[in-house]
Amino acid sequence: MKSKVLFLSLSVLFLSSCIKDDFIDDMIDSEITIITAIDTIGIDSEFQFQSRYLNNIGQEEKVIAEWSSSDEEVIAIDSNGLAKGLSIGSSIIKVTYEEEDTLLQDSLLVQVGAETVIVEQTVNSTIVTTSSYLLEGTMEIREIDQGIELNILDDYKASTALPGFYLYLSNNRNSIANALEVSKITVFSGAHSYTVPNVAVGDYNFLVYYCKPFNIKVGEAVLN
Amino acid sequence: MKKIIFSIAILFAFNVTLQAGGPWAKGKGKAYIKLSEWWTVFDQHYTDVGLLDPNVTTGIYNTALYLEYGLTDKVTTIINGALFSRNYMNNVKSRTTQENIIDGEALNSIGDIDLGVKYSFNKNSKVPISLSVILGLPTGTIGGGTQGNLQTGDGEFNQLVQLDFGSGFQLGQSASYFSGYVGVNNRTQGYSEEFRYGIEFGLGLIQNKLWVSGKLNAVESFKNGDTAETVTSTSIFANNSEFVSLALEASYYVTKNIGISASVASAVRGEIIAAAPAYSIGLFMDIK
Repeated sequence: MKSKVLFLSLSVLFLSSCIKDDFIDDMIDSEITIITAIDTIGIDSEFQFQSRYLNNIGQEEKVIAEWSSSDEEVIAIDSNGLAKGLSIGSSIIKVTYEEEDTLLQDSLLVQVGAETVIVEQTVNSTIVTTSSYLLEGTMEIREIDQGIELNILDDYKASTALPGFYLYLSNNRNSIANALEVSKITVFSGAHSYTVPNVAVGDYNFLVYYCKPFNIKVGEAVLN
Repeated sequence: MKKIIFSIAILFAFNVTLQAGGPWAKGKGKAYIKLSEWWTVFDQHYTDVGLLDPNVTTGIYNTALYLEYGLTDKVTTIINGALFSRNYMNNVKSRTTQENIIDGEALNSIGDIDLGVKYSFNKNSKVPISLSVILGLPTGTIGGGTQGNLQTGDGEFNQLVQLDFGSGFQLGQSASYFSGYVGVNNRTQGYSEEFRYGIEFGLGLIQNKLWVSGKLNAVESFKNGDTAETVTSTSIFANNSEFVSLALEASYYVTKNIGISASVASAVRGEIIAAAPAYSIGLFMDIK
């Protein structure tokens, strides 16, 4: 009897030291977004609109979206998102995608004028902690040649207690599964910047601060 | 390259203090040997401001040997080491897709070993006092796993100087004792130095076959260790941990010399330390 109890106890101990699974709640609402920023299409000029679909974990997928113009006499647009300015005025460009029973959509008011005006995209946001570790500040993102620059401003402060503190660009604020690792964090106060090549301003919805070794989300900035 | 370890090093401290033998000298030729399994599994930790935050579930299992041997009536040698140590972290999975986001990993090896000498100033006094010097040898492994975050030791050589005091007395029909200690732990490799203290109360029951004790152990960091800001190694971990823990232990003498023990300890306050109970079960031989 004693040996059975001992065997059972050791078995429980042995089995409880196995690697198991932790689950993170990473479901988000899927979305479709117009990612090209334009204010005005020049009359008789063409412009290629682009959209991005993110699934329910924030992963980008290729889908066949539908494009439409609220005033086809001002802006005509084909099924591939190629638009043409036809007459002076404005029109709402809409992209839609039907996912099961849900219609996802995004729209943009676009003018038709003498010449095409592309909007320079910048984002200003606030960095906030989502943990009890210190993390605060403000930031801006601006486009540079073939990439973006993340400028963390002078009011930034972060805890120095965490090991392996990393910065990610992600489309899911709860997960780094499909995120872009920007850099290991080595600056814990004051202004500094990161250059991220081959990324556009609207490509990611969140900046995520993450302790990689212990899988702790520390904070975030919302970018859209 | 400096490697500074996060929370687990301090958990080994739980283990050490749970098994400390108080101010009493063992006596020449006498010994106490204990083989135990010690473990904790935690999915949250105390942050640098003492609040609780979640982390990936992490487990540490130590098969430990503790030995006290009386070289003379006043000098007792102490060995405390993890013969086998396992540190693991769970897989991180998406609840939506059930796919692995981060694979779990484990590290198995020998753990750290402490070697110590305890000198009793007044063995037969009503209030015995002893001084211990304990050397923490970094025999465990650090920097395991893809992220270098698995460890079976703290990676540093430390020297603990500790003063123990106590007194035995009758409480009704039961033998009982009170003891306490204060100590300073000098650590290397960029770790913070520590002030340690604790108190313990024990009660003998069933003709002293069963001993039950309650303990408070504390580590207060001098907060002079390296941080992520001052060390740029790719595998650094935070430092400057501290805690106050409460523990309960029961030891039962099955025969005159052999017994079994069980204990549970948990931090009630802490900074940069696991927030979960640590358990231990053991088999001991008390050669009187």
